Amino acid sequence: MRIAMRLSGALLLLLAGAAASASAEQTFDREVAVQPRGAVDISNVSGRIEVSGWERAEVSVHAELEAGVERVDVSSEGGHTSIKVLVPHAPGHGGEVRLQVKIPQESELNVSGVSADITTTGVLGVQRLNAVSGNVTAELAGADVELKTVSGNLHLKGRGQAARLRLSTVSGDVRVEHGAGDFEASTVNGTLIVSLDSARSVRVHTTSGDVRFEGRLTHGATVEASTVSGELNVHASADGGYAYEVSSFSGAISDCFNASPERASQYGPGSRLEGTRGQGAGHVRLKTMSGAVQLCDRL
Amino acid sequence: MTSPPDNDARKVTSLRELPQSLEPPHDLWPRIEAQLTDIPDAAAGRATPARAGAMRARWLAVAAMLACVATGVWIGRSFLPGAPGSTAGPVSANNQVVPDLRTTAFDAAYVSDPRYAQQRAALVRTLQAKLAALPPPARAKVEASLATIEKAKADLEQALGRDPSNALLQELLVNTYQDEMRVLSDVHEASDPGRGI
Repeated sequence: MRIAMRLSGALLLLLAGAAASASAEQTFDREVAVQPRGAVDISNVSGRIEVSGWERAEVSVHAELEAGVERVDVSSEGGHTSIKVLVPHAPGHGGEVRLQVKIPQESELNVSGVSADITTTGVLGVQRLNAVSGNVTAELAGADVELKTVSGNLHLKGRGQAARLRLSTVSGDVRVEHGAGDFEASTVNGTLIVSLDSARSVRVHTTSGDVRFEGRLTHGATVEASTVSGELNVHASADGGYAYEVSSFSGAISDCFNASPERASQYGPGSRLEGTRGQGAGHVRLKTMSGAVQLCDRL
Repeated sequence: MTSPPDNDARKVTSLRELPQSLEPPHDLWPRIEAQLTDIPDAAAGRATPARAGAMRARWLAVAAMLACVATGVWIGRSFLPGAPGSTAGPVSANNQVVPDLRTTAFDAAYVSDPRYAQQRAALVRTLQAKLAALPPPARAKVEASLATIEKAKADLEQALGRDPSNALLQELLVNTYQDEMRVLSDVHEASDPGRGI
């Protein structure tokens, strides 16, 4: 009996050791000299990808690897730097990797993840950030930004610098703060909450997701928002004013300037609200089938 | 020899002097609605020749509208950024049933454009396998999104059945079909290891 208990204890210790070994993390560190305005590509399947810009002409990679990850490859040639996390091909294998990467701040950045969350700060160059189910959070610094996920949420934070912003997700939510410039976003059933300090053109579309847009428009700017069944709530002000056209098949239309919607057709369904605010330099077009629409020219 | 000018008749010197629209002498909607309600009766063989002619004209109008919608979708898929290139992919080996991306009258209209039909068919054929390659939470959310799109299509088609010439509904339907293709393309690309979306 005592022998059996000792054997069981030894077996437990063995299993615990094996488990601890399996979950043990390794670290990886590497620094490479690169061109200050080159391109940096980063890919990681699962975990986190944190990228920050710095003033040095170097790429610094720090990785914390769980068991099951093959390795991290870093290569740089001719202004192009690549950082890849390699995992076994069999599905369900491969642990998570937390990648912390510092890149020259004016680099062009391309990041691809599957379930890895992506975060960027202080990157002044063009950013293209893609994930499947991971969330993407990016800091806007004046260059173009393209964010895309399948189910992950998108969060873009700016400081009012104008840029071309393109955000697309299937089911994730989109949130933009202090963006500016040309803005385009779409989601099927996620929620879109957008705040722009200065917008030249805005195009947003959802299938059933709600849209809340708040922004100041430049002279002659255009806003186009459409949804099938989501709600559109647009607060847009503009120095030069804008002509507005709101169309709905069965959704309610309301505004904050006491204009009344009219029937789109004398004998058919649908309603429409048309008019001009201020000088009418810009254009605002809102379209929905069944969602409610609210338009206001005050923030 | 021309007839002398009629001094009483008002001369039109500008298109702006013409009326913006000509309204019918009375409300036509009740009769149109009644005809729409009678469609099942007509299908059952009780339609009069005049009503059958009107039905044909209506279906021709719907077919023309569908062709326009199909062309719009094709243009969107062909020229907008993110249009998929080669979409030929392996057929799902596990023979699973794909989510209910049903073929509707509108889908049938797209068949007239073989490239659109081929792209969509290839993406739908491999959808189940591609979904299976996604992380489970993402898979559930994508399936919910596809269901949302299906419902939006059904709602729009139902509304268009009541108001076939409604430009707003046609535009939203085109947008929804483009959304569907975008989702199918994104799922296809997202499940491709090493490529990302």
